[in-house]
Amino acid sequence: MQYLIQLLISGLAIGAIYGLIAMGFAVIYKSTGLVNFAQGEMTMITAYIAWTISTTVSGNVFVVAAGAILAAVLLGLIIERLVMRPMLGEPVFATVMVTIGLAVILRSAINFIWDAYPHGLDIGMGRGIVHLGSIGVRTGQLAVIATLLLLLAAIWAFFRYSKVGVAMRAVAADDRTALLMGISATRVHALAWAASSVIAGIGGVFFALSYDLSPAMFQLGLKAFPATILGGLDAVLGSGIGGLLIGITENLAGGYLGSGMKEVAGFAMIIVVLMVRPFGIFGERDIERV
Amino acid sequence: MRTGDYKQTYGELVALVDSPPVWLWSAVLLLALIAAPFVLNSYALSFVIIILITVTGALGLNILTGYTGLISLGHVGFLVTGAYAYAVLVSKYHMPPLVGFLGAGVVPALASLIVGAPSLRLKGLYLAITTLAFSFIINTVILEMRWLTNGARGIQVQRPEILGVSFDSDAAFTYLCLAIAALTLLATLNIRRSRVGRAFVAIRDNDTAARVMGINLHAYKLFAFVTSAFITGIAGALYGIYLSFVSVEGFPFLLSIEALAILIVGGLGSALGAVLGTVLIVLLPEATRLVFSLFSAQMDATFTTGAQELKSMLYGLVIILFLRFQPRGLVGAWHDIKRAWVHWPLRY
Repeated sequence: MQYLIQLLISGLAIGAIYGLIAMGFAVIYKSTGLVNFAQGEMTMITAYIAWTISTTVSGNVFVVAAGAILAAVLLGLIIERLVMRPMLGEPVFATVMVTIGLAVILRSAINFIWDAYPHGLDIGMGRGIVHLGSIGVRTGQLAVIATLLLLLAAIWAFFRYSKVGVAMRAVAADDRTALLMGISATRVHALAWAASSVIAGIGGVFFALSYDLSPAMFQLGLKAFPATILGGLDAVLGSGIGGLLIGITENLAGGYLGSGMKEVAGFAMIIVVLMVRPFGIFGERDIERV
Repeated sequence: MRTGDYKQTYGELVALVDSPPVWLWSAVLLLALIAAPFVLNSYALSFVIIILITVTGALGLNILTGYTGLISLGHVGFLVTGAYAYAVLVSKYHMPPLVGFLGAGVVPALASLIVGAPSLRLKGLYLAITTLAFSFIINTVILEMRWLTNGARGIQVQRPEILGVSFDSDAAFTYLCLAIAALTLLATLNIRRSRVGRAFVAIRDNDTAARVMGINLHAYKLFAFVTSAFITGIAGALYGIYLSFVSVEGFPFLLSIEALAILIVGGLGSALGAVLGTVLIVLLPEATRLVFSLFSAQMDATFTTGAQELKSMLYGLVIILFLRFQPRGLVGAWHDIKRAWVHWPLRY
């Protein structure tokens, strides 16, 4: 029983990280109709920048957090402006392939800029252990679950009540009509890229906090895929919740079926979800008109 | 001199080549490739072998992604299945290499049915993600089935001896790869001009319209998957033989990206494009290294230490630049040049 609870809690913690990155996928998909295959790499760059700030400037939590968020915003904006915007109006295949090309470039750029060794992000917190009854949990793991829930609420409110949020939904629903209503689709896209980069970046920093930075971290992006497919590619909140589900599934599969299963549990889930309900639990069904 | 497109019968519209000079140049290329082992040193010959193997694999992906318009991000999965099928059959159970090659085609083809079946309901991005998932699952399956695949230890593969002919030397192995690549090229060209190929292209261009015209989407999509996986699997077996060692690490995910880069660079949906793209993509890292080494020895050193990273960076750059500036690929550029040449000084 305790083993099960332990698995569930660590599953929730890693699932929250997947959820954050999956929300990054969904934010971009919702406003631009693209799957950003470079999400994992963008997450990783933000985490590495956070680590660089913590080792060179200051290990203070607020400095690191502010620096990482700023870096993530810049990263998102630069990529949108330099790489994605010229592809506006091109077929989806071409734009998605561009994000794949971008992913490969960013991945090797990280290996060149930083080294190939694992690093721990040390900002003086997150690695302490809290005891809940008989179960020990890292504070970083609790913090990431709390952050995910907070962000879920904030994003729900943003899309529901704020003018910009409604504009983003409008662009997602029908970009031409949105343009006619005076919404700048390019600005909305830029905003989406920046927001997605920040949300996923937060996930990356938490990952670095609880586990370690390493060049294999881009795989987080691949792990977050199942989450966003499960939740629905166009459902931002659903993707967050999908992350938690995938995290738990993965940990249970790893705990009871063997470590090989842990690696592929998420991918096996993708195939099942796509067969049964391709638009995800919370996503909207695509209706094709001739 | 070609003075126009004179198509007078329906047969001419689907002819394998539309003018005799193409036969001549193809024959010249074939002779040059046959002469290659006698002329080139072993380093240059290794590039010829890699190009021939990669062409086979790229043509396989071209059937699925280029003709039928189904994006596959997991083609390395078929490659590795083919390589393992060959290695297990030949090295472990000591079957004749021809049976090994047959298995290298059939096993990925069966696997493609498993990926293909769910993907019949999916299009575009969703399919890309399914195939991506497949390529990761297949790696785990291979690592877990230790009794058959030796798990992470991999399998040694010898160069084959087929019908009494030994392909042990590099020259002989080049001929084996050349024969398979040429056969694959002929096969894909013939598929493209047959009823099946036209159905593939119809599905790519508009699947709803294709269905209305009486094309069985399920059957043809699955057929595209099976054919593509069969060819890719054989390329995988050749690659495994070339590496002389089959392991999961020998087939990194980057190969899937490389294959897509080849199709984009060459021009999607064209066999000629797959060939041109392969030549460019395979030679690109080497060419870049040569250019850099002209500038300074230090840059050359960077290249040897970070070879893998620079290679993937180049692939990424090439993909982005081609999609941005030449979306029709090298084939498109070639058509533009031909047209300019014929019509000069008129525009058209």
